[in-house]
Order: sequence, then C-alpha cells, then structure tokens
Amino acid sequence: MSHGAAVGIGAGRQPSARWIATATAATVLTFLLAPFAALVFATDWHDFHFAPGDLAAIRVSLFYSALALALVVLAGTPLAWWLAHYHYRGKWVVDALLLLPLLTPPLAMGILLSSFYGPYSPVGGLLSQAGLYLTNTAPAFVLAQIYGAMPYYVLAARAAFEGVPEELEQISRTLGRNRWQTFWRVTLPLARLGLTAGVALAWVRAMGEFGIVLIVAYFPQGIPVKLWVNLEDMGLSAVYPLLWVFFLVAVPLPLWLGLRSRRQGMF
Amino acid sequence: MEIRYQLEKPVTLDIQMQVRDFTVLLGLSGEGKTMLLKAIAGLIPARGHPFGGLAAERRPIGYLPQGYALFPHLRAWENVAFPLPRGAGRRTQAMDLLARVGLADLAERYPAALSGGQRQRVALARALARRPELLLLDEPTSALDMATRDEILDELIREVHDFGVPVLAVSHDPHLAMLADHMAVLLDGHIVQEGPPRAVFARPATMGAARLLGFRNFLAGRIEETAETGMVVAGSGWRLRTGFQYGMHPGMSVTVAIRSEDLVPGDVLGVPAPNALKLKVVSLREEGVALRVRMEGACSLDMLLPRLQCEGRTLAPGATLWVQVAPEHVHVMIEVQ
Repeated sequence: MSHGAAVGIGAGRQPSARWIATATAATVLTFLLAPFAALVFATDWHDFHFAPGDLAAIRVSLFYSALALALVVLAGTPLAWWLAHYHYRGKWVVDALLLLPLLTPPLAMGILLSSFYGPYSPVGGLLSQAGLYLTNTAPAFVLAQIYGAMPYYVLAARAAFEGVPEELEQISRTLGRNRWQTFWRVTLPLARLGLTAGVALAWVRAMGEFGIVLIVAYFPQGIPVKLWVNLEDMGLSAVYPLLWVFFLVAVPLPLWLGLRSRRQGMF
Repeated sequence: MEIRYQLEKPVTLDIQMQVRDFTVLLGLSGEGKTMLLKAIAGLIPARGHPFGGLAAERRPIGYLPQGYALFPHLRAWENVAFPLPRGAGRRTQAMDLLARVGLADLAERYPAALSGGQRQRVALARALARRPELLLLDEPTSALDMATRDEILDELIREVHDFGVPVLAVSHDPHLAMLADHMAVLLDGHIVQEGPPRAVFARPATMGAARLLGFRNFLAGRIEETAETGMVVAGSGWRLRTGFQYGMHPGMSVTVAIRSEDLVPGDVLGVPAPNALKLKVVSLREEGVALRVRMEGACSLDMLLPRLQCEGRTLAPGATLWVQVAPEHVHVMIEVQ
C-alpha cells in the first residue's frame, strides 16, 4: 500500500518539475531570440535597398574572411596539435600566454597591433621597406581578422586534439603508420567534431571582427565597419539590408558545419 | 626468440627472457608489464633487443593493448585493413583475415557494436595483417566475461598457433599462464623464473613467485635429513617428508610452500600416512562449490577442499582434523621468511 502511495507521489511530482524546466527553457530561449524577431518587424520591406558601397563591403568581408580563415586553420592546427601533445614543465605559462589575445578587448588589441605593425614601429618600418603596409590595407584587414579569430580556433582545436585517445595514435604507429599518416588517418577524423566547431567559431569571429579592424584597417571596409558607418551617416533604418546580408553570409557556414558534424557524430 | 629490454622511466625494468609460441609473462599489477610491451613496440624510450633503435612504425610487431584500441571511426574490416597498403586487394585481404578469426559476418559493424571477445578478434586480425614477427598482448583476459573467457582464450591461443607467430602476453592472471607454452615470472623489475608452466607452477623459485603462482601456505623450517630418496623438513611441532632437491643439506633454514589444493583430509592418501598433521579448524568459507578450511595448531594451514571430498564429512570450527600432503607436493625453497 505504502509502495503504491510512493509511486503516486513520484508520478505526480515529475510532470510539474518537467513543466517548470520547459517553461524556464522557453523563457530563456525567447529572451535570446526576441531581438531577431524584432529585426523582421523593424525592416522596411517596401523600401529594401542597399546603401552605396554595401555590396563592396559584402565582397570584402566574404573574400578576406575566407582568406583569414584559411590562414588561421593552416597556422593554428599545428600549434593546437603541439599544445595538445607535448607536456613539459612550465606549460601553464604557455597556456596563460595563449589566453592573453583571447582575453584582450578587441579595441585594445587593435591599438596594440597598430603600435606593433604601424608605420612608425620598427616592425612596421621593416615591412613597409619590403612593400607591405599594415595600416588601412587589405593585408592589415586580414591581419586584424586573424588576431580576432585565431585564439578561438586554437583553443577549440586543442581541446579536440586532446580528446583523441593517445593510445589510438600509438596503435596506429605500431600498425606501420608514421606520425604524419597517423595524423591524417586517426587524429584528424577523431578530432573532426571539435575542429569543425573551431572552424565555425573562427569564421564568425573573422566575419564579425569590428574592434581590431576599426583601428588597424578602417579601409577596406567590411560589413561590420560599413554597418557602423551607415548607422552614423544615415541612421538605423539604413543598416537593416546590410544586417540581413550579414546574417545570411555569416551564419550558414557554422550552422551547416554544426548540423553536419552532429549528424555524423554517431559512429 | 630472446627478448632483452631495459628501461628506467616510468618504471625500472631489466628483462631477459625467451618467447616461445604462446608465452605468458606473469607479474603483479603495477610491475610495469604494460611498459615492457610499449618499450618493445617502440612507444616509450628503452634499450633492448630485438627491434631496439627502430621507430615504432618500423618494428615488425603486433600490439594488442588492454581494451584493444580499435579505431571507433572505422568499420571492423576497415580496422583490419588499416595497416595494409592501398590497392585493389586491400578489402579482400582484410575480409580474409576477418574470416580466419570467424568474424566475416560482422565486417561492416563499427567497434561500438561488437562484444569484448569480437573486438579482441578484430584487433588480433588487424595486428596480424602486418605479418608481425612478434605479437604482444596486454592482459588479454581483462576485458572478457568470466562466462565466455575460457572459450575465447582457447580460441585465441588456437588462432595464434594457426598463424604461427610467437606471442608474448603479459598478465597477472595465473590461469592464463597455465595455458601457456612457456612462462616467466616478473618480480621487482626482473625475471625471477621462467620455463614450462608445469614446472614453474610446481617449483616456484622464490616466495614472491610462489605467491604470484597461487601458493598460500608458507612454513619456516629447517632441513633435518637428506637422502637420495627424499628429505625431511621440520619446524616447531611439525615434520614433513619431501622429494630430494639438490643443494640442500641438514641444518639449512628453508621455507616450505604448499598449495591449498594439495592439502587433503587424513584418510585420503591412505596408510601408511605420510606427512600427517593434527590441526584444529579455525574457520570455514565456501568458495563456489569448494570449501576453504583455515586450520591452526603446530602450524597455520589453509586447505581448499573440493566438493567430492566434502561429502560425508562434518566440519565445524573447533573440530580436530588430520590433514596430509603428498611428499612431492611439499616445495622447499632456500629462502627464509
């Protein structure tokens, strides 16, 4: 009898707890997504047109972000692999230093970059002698995006590599595969989910980088700076068309990568 | 094949032993058995022979770690094909190997969908795909269920015999060592004894080895008499006859080792009763279908009584019991406790 009562209470409690959890989740989700809904209503769909220079900004953002992303992956992957595989005394110092660019506010990072690579700095002077100007140029724009995106990619990729059991990499060696082959055939496929997340994150960071770009490469104008310029020059209503494009080009890649890796997550 | 390996980190090991057919290296957990296999496989720095100085990928070995380390992102046949060069016959070769270990039907499965025994056989097929000169097995019984263990082990041993590759299996499981063609005992970083399991289990060289091999009774005593036909060892209140062993002389301090399962109640060996001891039962414990009897008196002994010998006896703590051990089962070691 008492057993039946206990079951009754348990069964009665569960739905209310579940209801509270669902309601909380729905509230938070609504809070997060509400501004996006506002965008739909705020946009003047009858008079939807780009401001002069918007299309050029889209081209700049897409092309240079892709270039920056490629460089981030090329340079960041070996670094992340090294961080995940080599253990030595004082490694925490390297870990802390790695967090430095991540924790630095973008505006401060932009100021640091312009003092380091700017025309009056020793490094900037040397580079300009070689014909490479890193202020208000396309290379400066890409450089700013790399500084904005690389720390995120390296952190995600390192975690992904650390998640691959070392034993599997060792077994690959005993099966006649060298380190390079092991990387391609074992490490990379097993780290794929985390690496994909890193690529998606880096893409969004590079596309949306504003603070560093504003200081180092006001020109060529990408979407974030152009949005700000439109807002300053023409007001809020002039930014919506470009904002829509921004979402359309920035979000699909990470979304697609995310969904794809989730689908393939089960072996 | 002779193996000689030395390593200092993370454990100190100095190993020299023979590997013949299916060889088991018996040692306690934490002795560094896994490290020895990794050293032979070239995965940790060590000096040794054979294969010393070669990069891991160039050593002709097959290594099966505990848990087998199958690649989770590859199907069973792709795991087996992993070491094979790219080419037209790759899949066929992998399928042949899978068929040889009886798993052709499961070729398309991912490791997550295989049982422990099936994973072990896939890993075996994968290790053999490279045609290794030596197969290294780390605790091959640890991931197996008790119910299917013996069957899978029999199969494994038959398969490695079929392939004709010498095997070095490390384990803490004496049961596995009993099934070996050759065995060695690892203690404190060294091989203390090696030989056919029958000889090693009957005559452990040291007390440490005896413990590892399942001996439970150790008595400190002194040699009283030696003759061609046998010897007499005695302690305070007990005397035991044993077979003759070289290097023993009267007056020598020794340790006597007796297996629990070699002790029998007094009437079993018949009259005239050799090595009869009168002891008092202290405690009884059922071990499956057998009975473990703890006795004290002139010496403390532990006897494992098979159920056939329990029938018709009433044993209770406090009862007096005559027990015997055959002289050939009394093992004498020149080592004092």
